[in-house]
Amino acid sequence: MPMKTPRILFALLLGLALHLPVQAADLSIGLAADVSSLDPHYLNVAPNIAIASHFFDTLVTVDADSKLAPGLAESWKAINATTWEFKLRRGIKFSDGSELTTEDVVFSLNRPATLTNSPGPFTPFTKIISGKQAVDAHTLRLTTSQPYGPLPLDLSSIFIVSKKAAENASSEDFNSGKALVGSGPYTLLRFKRGESIEMARNALWWGYRDGRATQWDKVTFRLLPADGPRLAALLAGQVDAIEGAPAADLPRLKADARFHLEQRISWRTLFLQLDQYRDKSPFITDANGKALEKNPLKDARVRLALSKAIHRQALTERTLEGLGVPAANVVSPGILGHVAARKVEAYDPDGARQLLQEAGYADGFSLTLHGPNNRYINDDQILQTVAQFWSRIGVKTKVETMPLSVYFGRLRKADFSIGLLGWGSLAGDFALKNLVATPNAAEGWGAWNWGQYSNPKVDQLLHESLASVDDGKRRKLAEQTATAALGDTALIPLHHQIATWAMKKGLRATPRLDEFTFAWQFRPE
Amino acid sequence: MAKWRGLALLLLVALAVLVAPWLAPQNPYDLAALDIIDARLPPFSHASNGPLTYWLGSDEQGRDLLSALLYGLRISLLVGVGGSFVAFAVGSMVGLWAGYRGGRSDALLMRLADLQLSFPALLVALVLLALLGPGLSKVVIALALSQWAWFARLARNEARSLAGRDYVTAAHLAGVGEIRILIRHIWPNALPTLLTAWPVQLAAAITLEATLSFLGLGAPVTQPSLGLLIANGFQYLLSGQYWISLFPGLALVLLLATLNAGADRLAKV
Repeated sequence: MPMKTPRILFALLLGLALHLPVQAADLSIGLAADVSSLDPHYLNVAPNIAIASHFFDTLVTVDADSKLAPGLAESWKAINATTWEFKLRRGIKFSDGSELTTEDVVFSLNRPATLTNSPGPFTPFTKIISGKQAVDAHTLRLTTSQPYGPLPLDLSSIFIVSKKAAENASSEDFNSGKALVGSGPYTLLRFKRGESIEMARNALWWGYRDGRATQWDKVTFRLLPADGPRLAALLAGQVDAIEGAPAADLPRLKADARFHLEQRISWRTLFLQLDQYRDKSPFITDANGKALEKNPLKDARVRLALSKAIHRQALTERTLEGLGVPAANVVSPGILGHVAARKVEAYDPDGARQLLQEAGYADGFSLTLHGPNNRYINDDQILQTVAQFWSRIGVKTKVETMPLSVYFGRLRKADFSIGLLGWGSLAGDFALKNLVATPNAAEGWGAWNWGQYSNPKVDQLLHESLASVDDGKRRKLAEQTATAALGDTALIPLHHQIATWAMKKGLRATPRLDEFTFAWQFRPE
Repeated sequence: MAKWRGLALLLLVALAVLVAPWLAPQNPYDLAALDIIDARLPPFSHASNGPLTYWLGSDEQGRDLLSALLYGLRISLLVGVGGSFVAFAVGSMVGLWAGYRGGRSDALLMRLADLQLSFPALLVALVLLALLGPGLSKVVIALALSQWAWFARLARNEARSLAGRDYVTAAHLAGVGEIRILIRHIWPNALPTLLTAWPVQLAAAITLEATLSFLGLGAPVTQPSLGLLIANGFQYLLSGQYWISLFPGLALVLLLATLNAGADRLAKV
């Protein structure tokens, strides 16, 4: 019966075709921020980094708990105070089949400095590397211009691209996929700007050999920055999971058996930065609106009073609806430089008033508090709540909020007297170098210390801490630095943010300390 | 009697707004009076500290909604009246001048008005606020600048038809100066038409202010007007905390409805 075979074959094929969509493991995730470019060296912002991590690898990676782990480099060590040696894994292939060598690594480390029109360059991570020597195809030696402990951590931010594909490529070539040749777990299918990014499993990825297999054949990231539509997409089943589940809707999601939530304290800490260098700060007057002789924020007693006036428990429970924990540090628990012994400043309005009186401000004063209104969880409300607390101790506080794009520019120009900032860092000394070290543009110190807090003891400790290549010693020094700076109320910590992922029933996820959303965090229950 | 109901309601709202500071249980703009512990309480809740009852509930900062509503109405009316008044004054002056003079200044001014009218008022206001920065006085300016053209067009048509009247020609022949003719003969006769148009633009100005505040560009966050209150409650709507958006929304609808009813009545007088 010669006719039978094709029919059976056809039936088999049909069956296979019908089954395929069910067997193929697809995942779609709603992201809370827009992705502006797929060029992994163009703009140093979290949403772009999250997507780039799917296409590219780094020499060193950080795991869900933000501990360093081998990436493309299977091992590394400091040969002396300024020289590091990295051993690459063997047989790593780019998605075009070519082999990844130290030549590609050197090219990738050089590339950020060539993108001179980047509004947020990756050069802070590469600036300190003064020498790059490819000893052979799998051994790389890097020299730093001065002793620098956090180099491996910094390298976890530099993606390795294919020299062949990326040489002379523009950022547009990455967005179109032409230059997007990486060694990461996924390859690009489509980038619809402002809408979605579709990617497919990269069968050549080295991680499969290591048992780091990811489950998903096809992953779609939908860009849904607005809370309402993102939540609606999850409720309607258009996406399987979302990051940044809106605070107001958590009780309802928790009660709904169709969904599952994963939460964890993230690395992002929110704090207030204070103008501590101008004698006449632009937004500070006395209680009646007249100019003050001197800037009260220069007085450590006033800074402490402002900190004591804040009821952090009420702030996190009511204003943040539980999506934060009161903070006494600038980095989250578990991160190098977090001083566990530091107690959260207790709510003490009487003590605060007392301190103001001692400092000569018995009648209080007036100020305007500035911050973004679209960056952190309930950011504009946090500012209003802080204003509420300060008004109670006689510090008349006004609030002005603005979109992030405007806010950051003005903040770095020191247009404000007090500003809200959130900072995610994997090392306390690194964070403090940016936030409280005496500003020095040439060395990249105090890049975000617009209020110009300056304390020689803190600077000294920071230098020692960042220069230590010994982890134990560095940890101790980083904690001493934090204790010195925070004991002086160099800034006012508010809370550590809690990150929330919501997903449909049947999915589970490993929440990451650094708030990133990666496809491989998700798995079937 | 029924005919006057709209106007009576309008007067009642105006009165409530005038005496808001004495009527409101709390000063919602005094941050020291708020208590974050009382945030997002449903209607009829009692304050955790103190004798206050939140008749309409509280917002996400623990602000009494009834008080916030009364104060918010005040801001909405004040900004709306201010903005539309400036627009009225500027627009009618420009329009009367253009209509009476005719010729080149007419062409120039009216093309300018046409240009302005070809953009939606909201867009014009958004651009202006982006340039001017935040603050209620800036909103008044933005409202005035996005509405003057409407009055200018109307005034110009009025002036155009009045300019041909016999008494104007007579005044002209008698040697009366142009400015004097405008002020004594044209302006008083154009005024009734312009005045009836004003409440319509007032309602539009209030809506525009509410929209701008809803988008976070109007009133400062610590002094929420109706639009900002609605925006603040927006994120809680899905989770069942309806009162933060609902009551300010109703107040805005009520204000606009009474304004229209009152204006209707006025137009017939």
